[in-house]
Amino acid sequence: MTTARLDRRLTGIATLVFGLFLILWSILPLYNMVRVGLQHKEDVFSNNTWPPHPTLDSFRTVLHEAYWLLQNFWGQMGNSFYIGVAVALLTLTIGTLTSFTIGRMRIRQGWMLTNAALMTYVIPMSFLAIPFYGIMGKYGLTNNPLAVIAVEVTFATPYAIFIFQQYSGSIPQELDEAARIDGASPPQIFFRIYLPLMAPALVAIGTYALLLSWNEYLYAFLLLSSDGNLTVPVGLGKFLNSDEAPWNYLMAASIIYAIPPLVIYYTFRRKMSGGLTMGGVKG
Amino acid sequence: MKQISRRQALAGSAALATAAGSRRAKAAGTVTVWWTQGFYQAENQAVIDTMKEWEKRTGTKVDLTIINGPDLITKLIAGMQVGDVPDLVHTVTGDRFLVPQAAWNDQLVDVSDVIDSQRSEFLPTALDNSRFYNAKLKKRAYYSVPLKCSTLMEQSWRPLIEEAGFSDADMPKTHDAYFKFFETVQDKLRSKGKRIYGLGYSMATKEADSGTLFHHFLTAYGGAAIVTPEGKLNIDDPAVRKAASMALERLTTPFKKGYVPPGAINWGDVDNNNAFYARQIVMTPNATISISVAQMEKPDQYFKEIITQGIPAGNDGQPIASLLGVSPCIIPKGAKNIDDAKSLLKSIIEPATLNTYLKETRGRYLPVMPSIVKNDPWWLDPADPHRPVAVKYGLLLPTTAWWMAYNPAYSAVLSEQIWCQAEANITQRNMTVEQAAEEAIKRIKATFEKFEIG
Repeated sequence: MTTARLDRRLTGIATLVFGLFLILWSILPLYNMVRVGLQHKEDVFSNNTWPPHPTLDSFRTVLHEAYWLLQNFWGQMGNSFYIGVAVALLTLTIGTLTSFTIGRMRIRQGWMLTNAALMTYVIPMSFLAIPFYGIMGKYGLTNNPLAVIAVEVTFATPYAIFIFQQYSGSIPQELDEAARIDGASPPQIFFRIYLPLMAPALVAIGTYALLLSWNEYLYAFLLLSSDGNLTVPVGLGKFLNSDEAPWNYLMAASIIYAIPPLVIYYTFRRKMSGGLTMGGVKG
Repeated sequence: MKQISRRQALAGSAALATAAGSRRAKAAGTVTVWWTQGFYQAENQAVIDTMKEWEKRTGTKVDLTIINGPDLITKLIAGMQVGDVPDLVHTVTGDRFLVPQAAWNDQLVDVSDVIDSQRSEFLPTALDNSRFYNAKLKKRAYYSVPLKCSTLMEQSWRPLIEEAGFSDADMPKTHDAYFKFFETVQDKLRSKGKRIYGLGYSMATKEADSGTLFHHFLTAYGGAAIVTPEGKLNIDDPAVRKAASMALERLTTPFKKGYVPPGAINWGDVDNNNAFYARQIVMTPNATISISVAQMEKPDQYFKEIITQGIPAGNDGQPIASLLGVSPCIIPKGAKNIDDAKSLLKSIIEPATLNTYLKETRGRYLPVMPSIVKNDPWWLDPADPHRPVAVKYGLLLPTTAWWMAYNPAYSAVLSEQIWCQAEANITQRNMTVEQAAEEAIKRIKATFEKFEIG
């Protein structure tokens, strides 16, 4: 065997080993979630690699809300959906209108708005928790899902505007001009030309905004109080303060909660990656 | 289409703001209550029932929110920063991490009148734990109402002790020998092939358990005078310094020798309970008897397998006064309905109401009123292997108050986990006990400089 071939083979083996290590590293936490979710409460702290008596009882318990910390699981799931969908819709509405106004109607100094929006990312979300809490308190919005929606939209919108701005650069201005010559008003151009051509970016940003609020804990915990208003992440946080060690229920609930984003991601995957990458290669 | 002028838009916004304001004003007929989540369902149900009963009796609505312990404190601090607070708060660890500094900063309502309604009933140590210094008014007053209390309990597995060839009677009665005993139990069980730890205590730099245990050790070695009742730091007293060093050494050495689970450096307050249930550890100190109480539905475990003991005597054989943890109720300044909050509090601390509430929680916490346990045989029922032990150590034997009641600086010491950081410095960063103690003392002195009581 020549040295070059040996080198190639060794490189291949090293790549394979490294790849396997990365796969294991990534999958182990997920596997652990599933393993604990399939166990009986008493077996949760056992060191078995695979549950000795696998059972779907934990999933049934979650589905039927048959445990005291899960009593309002579906209500909380509904709240998560409501907040997630509202955040996605509002982010898309504000983002597209802003990018259309700046990019297509060519308002003066529009670039300043885009840059100023991006500047908001200089300050981490958690730093603004107390000021936001104060503002929502003044508006009488504490313990109101609208407060969480408002905050999440605030954080999602700058990124949305940036991506829409970049993406819309790939749509020829001539299309707008042709429509204008045919007598189309700005709203008509927006709805009939701009939005349909922005579909991949809309899917990408809509999914991004939904996931941002879906996984949000800090603001949901700070701004929501009563059980009827809580989202699933905050509800699951209550498990961490219990003597009864129901980790199997916690894992089962987490797996169920992770399903909707997965479905959304895989449904829109192709459009989503298209939307994000096209925004990034605007020439 | 009709255009909206800037003036109209501003008027609309003002109307919205007014509407929001009126919604808040309407809420004045309601008492907003934040309550620490229980460790098991019965605890939550007990508070829900108590509030419902009061609502029925008075016609005033209670807007009750149950939040887990650490989150409640975070949320309340955020609320205090911006002036949007509930009317009444019950926080289990608030006596350490929140109330002393909030009282110092004049952020709490003086509740002396609520205390006065039952003053003669309260355990004196519980009252000592509830009186704090207000730096703005330059005086001490009652800024919290004690509701329930507890002292450190030691819980262990009888079957594991027996498997190691011992019985209850073999368990030593003095401090060092008691903890050493579980190292021997571990050695014996490991020689039989069991993967187990003899001692299961938290070494974490978060939450309350690790700090509770350190201060119990500090007291056991003669360091109870670390802060004087006048609020002066007494850490240069050689006896206190020696006690602090001994506490650090005796807690960290078993860890380094492998008698405490390695994961204990990151345990939350519930993790020692979970490790105990999983029988990964033979014994664990716990701030309440929650470990056994949560297993009440399993008679074998509750009556036969779990042993509950109070703290052992000092190494000289003399009893040690237990540090009494008190779970308080507070009314933050800025609360919209102080009158009803006080009325609700007065109702809760009526001995009969308090007894019903605490019994419904299965007695995880003790009443702060000795008369309750004397008048209701449930508390000292000899058939129960756990509750009477807790009552004895919490209410019938000598207890002592935590030092943050004397000076809120000690609350900062606890919040910053200075002693637990010292433990971590020894176990994780290879500092000597003396170096770690010296660094902790330096930090504590600096902390006290910020809280001069005039």
